[in-house]
Amino acid sequence: MSTIFECSGLTKKFGSKTALSGVDLKIERGQIVGLLGPNGSGKSTLIKLANELLTPTSGKILIGGQQPGIETKKIVSYLPERTYLNDWMRVQQIIEFFSDFYDNFKPEKAYDMLKRLNISPNDRLKTMSKGTKEKVQLILVMSREAELYFLDEPIGGVDPAARDYILETILSNYNENATVIISSHLISDIEKILDYVIFLNQGKVVLTSTVDDIRDAKGKSVDLLFREVFKC
Amino acid sequence: MPWDLKSDRPIYTQLVEQIKLMVFSGTYPPGSKLPSVRDMAQEAAVNPNTMQRALAKLEEDGLIITHRTSGRSITEDASMIELAKTKLARDQIFEFLEKMRLMGFDQKEILTIITTMAKELK
Amino acid sequence: MLIKLLKYEVKATGRLFLPIFLSLLVLAAINKILSAFNHPTWTTPAVITMIIYSIIMAGMFVMTFTVMIQRFHKNLLTDEGYLMYTLPVKSWQHIISKLLVSLMWIIASALTAMLSTEIIAYKPGTLGKILQALATIHNQIIGNFGLSAYLLLLEMILGGLITLASGILIVYASIAIGHLFTRHKILSSFGAFIGLTTLSQIYLVLVFQITRIAHFANFSLYNITSNEFVRSELIFASGFILIAIPCAAYFAVTNYILSRRLNLE
Repeated sequence: MSTIFECSGLTKKFGSKTALSGVDLKIERGQIVGLLGPNGSGKSTLIKLANELLTPTSGKILIGGQQPGIETKKIVSYLPERTYLNDWMRVQQIIEFFSDFYDNFKPEKAYDMLKRLNISPNDRLKTMSKGTKEKVQLILVMSREAELYFLDEPIGGVDPAARDYILETILSNYNENATVIISSHLISDIEKILDYVIFLNQGKVVLTSTVDDIRDAKGKSVDLLFREVFKC
Repeated sequence: MPWDLKSDRPIYTQLVEQIKLMVFSGTYPPGSKLPSVRDMAQEAAVNPNTMQRALAKLEEDGLIITHRTSGRSITEDASMIELAKTKLARDQIFEFLEKMRLMGFDQKEILTIITTMAKELK
Repeated sequence: MLIKLLKYEVKATGRLFLPIFLSLLVLAAINKILSAFNHPTWTTPAVITMIIYSIIMAGMFVMTFTVMIQRFHKNLLTDEGYLMYTLPVKSWQHIISKLLVSLMWIIASALTAMLSTEIIAYKPGTLGKILQALATIHNQIIGNFGLSAYLLLLEMILGGLITLASGILIVYASIAIGHLFTRHKILSSFGAFIGLTTLSQIYLVLVFQITRIAHFANFSLYNITSNEFVRSELIFASGFILIAIPCAAYFAVTNYILSRRLNLE
């Protein structure tokens, strides 16, 4: 196994507020990783730093051995926690857009998933509900054969049926050499699909472990452990 | 068959148990081909790595055979399945006996209860 | 990748500009037809179309300006930036694509405005007169300057483009500087714009002063060459460099901020 994502001494401050402080992490290829923590613990900040949407205050990030840049953007597929689609395109046009810019985007995969959800490629993004837009985004992100996926709160605020669909989409599109990093505060919903978890609190890493180790050694679920670690 | 996974034990051990049950109950008869790891993982809604690990354990136990080209299948060796079945039965009974003992029953009492119940169920 | 960015930039903006260009030309034509009747019943409709025409004309220029700002700010520095910045594209390519397409629409708007006024002012025979007048001007210029007139024209166009680009880039740089602030980004952008404008004014004054001093120090182009053509070319060249310097500076500032100081919230 080789390392796909690594950061050392990663710190990010917004003015006087520290969002991440001295985070050291190493994540191997071929796993599904849960980036878990309460709201405001720095999950999104970490993911945005990896995608170069934020500039670190100090510290370093390496993705596949390279600093974030054009080369890493080719192998990273990112689902932000908000909708980033413009409102004037049709689904078909946004798919064309993705195939134009990403060599590893598979349009047939996207069309296939859209069909299963009964979303017409001719639909305009403008007329879609927020939930549908989020599904379109997930489809776009998972239709790329990337080496590293960052999914920021993919199941936050969706109904159980949609949640199952999302988890199924992640599982069925993920290949064995890729790594998926999922951030969430809804642990019980996703812990079944995780290999590895990272607990983040107030900008610091408080625990990293494989899920089986947590269950084996502590005899409790990740969710329960999380509740203990983050007890108010 | 629905997959029922509890949250306090490693998922792969639970998968191992449930696949064994499927084999014993005939869902996967001896010699039958298993779906791909990916499909099985998706069906159980678990990580493919975890499913992989469970299948590796079953292979180690001799219940599953991996063919170089055509995926995995259940062993055709009926004695192997019988052995695993007996082992599982023994484990279950052992656990049950432990509990009964904790409740203060001795061996004789336990046997009496079992025979009465078996008669009633007939 | 730049070509692809340009393609999508044209697509994203064309759907706004093309209808307005078309409606401007159509209204100009309607107005022309209505006033051609030259009959009292058609006066009111003619006046109304004229008013609408003027409003669209004004709207078109406001739009070129707002679209220029919007495409840069909304597409790169708000939620849409999450998509644009995760594309495997360098930030200078984003800036150039937005700049070129903005330039294109400003020029297209000006051309459409000219064309529509031509339509309104058109009388049978005017077209011939215009062409004739253009031909006369053309001949006169060629007569005065010879073939170098074409070069001159090219240089004037180039100079105009650089000036225009400079005007767009100063806006981009202001927005980018405003982005550096954690709060009051828009207000900061305005502040940055005023600051940058002041700086470029100071720059221009300095340039004039230096040329004046040079003049007093008896440094003159007449001392370098006596060839009038070479002299005018030298003046143009130095002029280009002088206006291109702030232009390049705005670009550099924008690119630095977008590539090294980006903080999308």
